[in-house]
Amino acid sequence: MSRTKDCTPRELQAFVLSKELRDGEMGAAGASAAIPMAAMMLARLTHAPDLQIAGEMFVNPRPRKLYDSMLDDRALGACEAAETFLELFGHSHRGLDFFFHNGMQVDAHGNINLHHIGGTIDAPKMRGPGAANISYAHTSRRFYICTNVHSPRTLVERVDFITSPGYLDGPESCRAAGITGGPRLCVTPLAVMDFDPETLRMRLQSVHPWSSVQEVRDKTGFDLPAADTVPETPLPDSETLALLRQRVDPEGLLRRA
Amino acid sequence: MSAPGRQCKLVEPQDLGRLVTEFLPEGGLLALGGLFKQNRPMALVREVLKSGRRLLRLVSSPGSGFDVDVMIAAGAVAETYLAAVTLEDRMCPAFRGAAERDEIKAHCVDALSVVGGFLAAANGVPFQPVDAWKGSDVIRHNPLVTEMTCPFTGRPLHATRAIHPDLAILHAQEGDIYGNIRHLSTMTYADQMIARAAKRVIVSVDRIVDTDDIVARSRETSIACNYVDAVVHLPHGAHPTGSFPLYSIDEDHIAAYATIAEAARKGGDAERAALADWLDRHVFAPETLSDYLDMIGGGSRLAELEREAEAL
Repeated sequence: MSRTKDCTPRELQAFVLSKELRDGEMGAAGASAAIPMAAMMLARLTHAPDLQIAGEMFVNPRPRKLYDSMLDDRALGACEAAETFLELFGHSHRGLDFFFHNGMQVDAHGNINLHHIGGTIDAPKMRGPGAANISYAHTSRRFYICTNVHSPRTLVERVDFITSPGYLDGPESCRAAGITGGPRLCVTPLAVMDFDPETLRMRLQSVHPWSSVQEVRDKTGFDLPAADTVPETPLPDSETLALLRQRVDPEGLLRRA
Repeated sequence: MSAPGRQCKLVEPQDLGRLVTEFLPEGGLLALGGLFKQNRPMALVREVLKSGRRLLRLVSSPGSGFDVDVMIAAGAVAETYLAAVTLEDRMCPAFRGAAERDEIKAHCVDALSVVGGFLAAANGVPFQPVDAWKGSDVIRHNPLVTEMTCPFTGRPLHATRAIHPDLAILHAQEGDIYGNIRHLSTMTYADQMIARAAKRVIVSVDRIVDTDDIVARSRETSIACNYVDAVVHLPHGAHPTGSFPLYSIDEDHIAAYATIAEAARKGGDAERAALADWLDRHVFAPETLSDYLDMIGGGSRLAELEREAEAL
């Protein structure tokens, strides 16, 4: 049990995501993306030295620490190339290997909502911030959903509005819409979910050591299938955690609540 | 030096009110440069608010936040064509409240539709074809977008409409008196496209540099003088957003505003009065930029923000 105190939920989210990224791939994270940026930097230090960070204007940045916002000169000013929004079309049409999304609502098929909750888009009960680049959801080979919270308000059966498409209503609707990419994992502070290849619905893959299958199900707004025995999410070993803390996140942004 | 008679585009800060009123009609389409908390033309935003122009329609590079929220809080905005409106670590209170109370029309647009619109306008064509949208509700509700057929292959595509702002306001670190602009920040955001798309362009700069210096490093001129109508010397004119590498983002100032604006969104008359007071002290009361800079903490605060940028 002492190991569980060694790693915070946000650090574990970054570690889980880092293991997904392969050497030689190219991808990016958007604004407000401290965990995805940590995942990309950690992947470079552990197993993917040739990971290319590009697609959000800063090419192969060298952040010295993490910021809540990861899209300005404080974090990314030191980089190999600075692109402009002209390149948005190039990246959107070519696609990336991977991208990261967060949402006000995420649904059972991995659709993302950042526009409104309740009401309609023209008369919203709650209006969200919207999203910048929605095309990466399907032009990227795959994407990862990384949420700040795990609650029934965030993880819902069906989003009120599809800002960025996941698997829509399942395989048929994806075929009809011509969608070939999609979410690979949903990583929350409590658990890791993947998607059933038949139904393209979320299912429980592993539970973080500080949570339980019961807690995860209680805090998920839809039925979450799971195997009889759900494994615990493996924690980073001490060497990897030291890299994360010393090289990626020296000021401990991911350790703060 | 230049030949005598060449038009100097350097204007005095006290001329800005007149220029804004001349370039931007009531209900006009205003474009903002920069991105999120970087290079936002905040001093020019305050001039637009002081000009009294209302019912404005706003467009920006795909990321906007504080500036837009202040304009909405001041009651100057009717419609937004903004992809993402956020303070990144929290939502924009005035934007959210005004959209929920139906006081503004917050159009549902995304980065490709806005950037494509600037690109089409910059290229002098009525639309930009887009082939990267699938499955999102944003496309179905986006007023800039329609379906089209590729004239060569017959394949279905989308078209996004050209965006021609009446006025673009931009901020950069350096410029000369003829309107040649040089960004020292790592990015130039969508500023170059916006300058080409807009009918009129006003740029604030932290420093005026000699034209010989522009000529010595001409490849670094980010926006050429032919796209600029007026340049104005407004040191720290992006505050509280950052103007890297000269000064960093004043997160404390933005957070203090957001707390007051969020209280006004949720609260009653007292909270709304507090927001009106904030707007009065920061936007309407300061007569000059230097009055404003004194109000937000003066030289010592500015020096802190400069040191923060220098240490990066």
